[in-house]
Amino acid sequence: MSSITLTERRKLRAQGLTASGLIGPATFIVALGVLGPLLLLARYSLNLYDPRELMISAFSAQNYIEFFSDTYYLSTFWTTIRISLLCTVICIVLGFPLAYVLARTQSRYKNLMIIGVVIPLFVGNAVRAAGWMTLLGSRGFLSVWLMRLGITDEPVEIMYSETAVVLGIVAVNLPYMVLTLQSVIESIGRHIEEAAFSLGAAPMVMFRRVLWPLALPGTTAGVILTFILAMNAYATPVLLGGPEFRMMSPMIYNQFQLNNWPFSAAVAFVLMASTLVLTVLAGIMTRQKFRD
Amino acid sequence: MAGLQLHGLTKRYGDFHATQNVELDVKEGEFLVLLGPSGCGKTTTLRMIAGFVDPTEGSIRIGGKDVTLLPPWKRNTGLVFQNYALFPHMTVAQNVAFGLEMRGVPKSDIGPKVQDALDLVQLGHLAGRYPRQMSGGQQQRVALARALVFRPDVLLLDEPLSNLDAKLRHEVRIEIRALQQRLGITAVMVTHDQEEALTMADRLVVMSDGQVRQVGSQRDLYERPASRFVAGFVGRSSFLEGEVRDGRFTTAGGLTLPCDKPMRGPAVIALRPERMTVAAQPHPGSVPGEVEFVSYMGGLIDLHLRLSPTDLVVAQVSNREGSLIPELGDTVHVSWPDATAFPASDPHARGH
Repeated sequence: MSSITLTERRKLRAQGLTASGLIGPATFIVALGVLGPLLLLARYSLNLYDPRELMISAFSAQNYIEFFSDTYYLSTFWTTIRISLLCTVICIVLGFPLAYVLARTQSRYKNLMIIGVVIPLFVGNAVRAAGWMTLLGSRGFLSVWLMRLGITDEPVEIMYSETAVVLGIVAVNLPYMVLTLQSVIESIGRHIEEAAFSLGAAPMVMFRRVLWPLALPGTTAGVILTFILAMNAYATPVLLGGPEFRMMSPMIYNQFQLNNWPFSAAVAFVLMASTLVLTVLAGIMTRQKFRD
Repeated sequence: MAGLQLHGLTKRYGDFHATQNVELDVKEGEFLVLLGPSGCGKTTTLRMIAGFVDPTEGSIRIGGKDVTLLPPWKRNTGLVFQNYALFPHMTVAQNVAFGLEMRGVPKSDIGPKVQDALDLVQLGHLAGRYPRQMSGGQQQRVALARALVFRPDVLLLDEPLSNLDAKLRHEVRIEIRALQQRLGITAVMVTHDQEEALTMADRLVVMSDGQVRQVGSQRDLYERPASRFVAGFVGRSSFLEGEVRDGRFTTAGGLTLPCDKPMRGPAVIALRPERMTVAAQPHPGSVPGEVEFVSYMGGLIDLHLRLSPTDLVVAQVSNREGSLIPELGDTVHVSWPDATAFPASDPHARGH
């Protein structure tokens, strides 16, 4: 320590003060607004519920055991994961070509195209879901026109089905995926692709051997983002899925409404933990893939 | 290895001609350099040969085979980029192996071929490295090995030295040329650097505004430039503008010189600074001039000489014992052995 000069020490102290000044407010809000409620929820999830007395202070895994032993809850859990994975895969498949075109276009309308991708995000999820309802319902736009064109004789009911929910979630998540992938692809120089072509790689081979492996780490970010959004979707499954369709977020809210705070806290923790585990798994898998 | 022929190669973007009617015949094993200022169409020409730009008109033949309509991956060309364009997620060896894998070379043959190619560029010991762990010069050598390992019909080099610092540029320049000669590979290089072009090429192609202005050896271009543009672009030239009448060239400033070219009307004479003779005394064919500016560069000295109110030329003299080193305002006598005259209507005068 004695070898550090006075000016150096002064510099260190100044930096320390500036850094803590910069991260302080955010840290405070995160600690108070996120960690606090989380700890509270964690505690609640170990309490017990009584229909008359509501929450009873306890220290029990009862809520978690109930969740994982009841097929009603378990099927909701698996539906949520299945829908989220499906939506994420669809987002990659639909998003990659779009992101590629956006990244590589020389058009002067590129900025307009990007705004076109972002504009759906200006509309709230509930408003958007309402739009889907008018489009997909049995007396909706799509159904009416299919009948008018004579393609079907009976009204087509797409609303209140898994398809409608997937459609709705993909519509919300696709812009996030496209924007993430676009910046990923832009960071991979066009010359890299041309090098592969000139070495004899046809477009699909180029994609598989060069573009995809290089885009993979960035794609993981997009995957994680859209997966988390899908796992936690609320408005879309409620409005487009109907009463028979169940996903985790709506279920948490329903339990709250029933005043069963301990159980809904437990479900919230299951949702959070499973999202976290799958996200970490995705990260590990892509990193290994990228290594070889 | 094969020859390369470009026939009537034209690329239009709307009204803009990126290249216009480019005719080139590259012989087997020849090193051809496309030289010109930026926007002259040299890169577009190279990219058409590689297959990344579809020509609007014309044809490209490699080894006698018409490849005009083939996509890049079906033409057997090796391409080296200005920014190396190595695959960052592959090792040096994997980068070099890529072209061989694409050609279905058996796995057992790939290893030795890759090693040979890397030995060729003296990087055999770095096969396991990733591109980011190497210097720019090493990366460009890997790119060269990658483009050569599958023995392409034509090696295409797109400003391959521009990203390297001056010292490396000289090294890699010599290396590329030596390799190309040793392998007897047909090569086309694009550059805007005339020194690079002059030291590497068998033959040069000077382009401007999408058109080929002159094709020839270094000597052809320097000694017999076909136009004012070439005279200004290859080497240095001073230009005198005037009119030719009855075998005499007269400038607006009243300078009169003999002109043996069978031409009439407005004309331009190009003079090479290093071909001028400067003396204190008048001598046969000399013209008097006042020294307006002296640029002392050590071994060489540039003298800006005013020959008439409108005529300024640069003469370069070497700084040897006994050389005349005039001062500002001195009057000296300058002569030149031969001068190239061009019609002033030369449409390629732009740029100089």
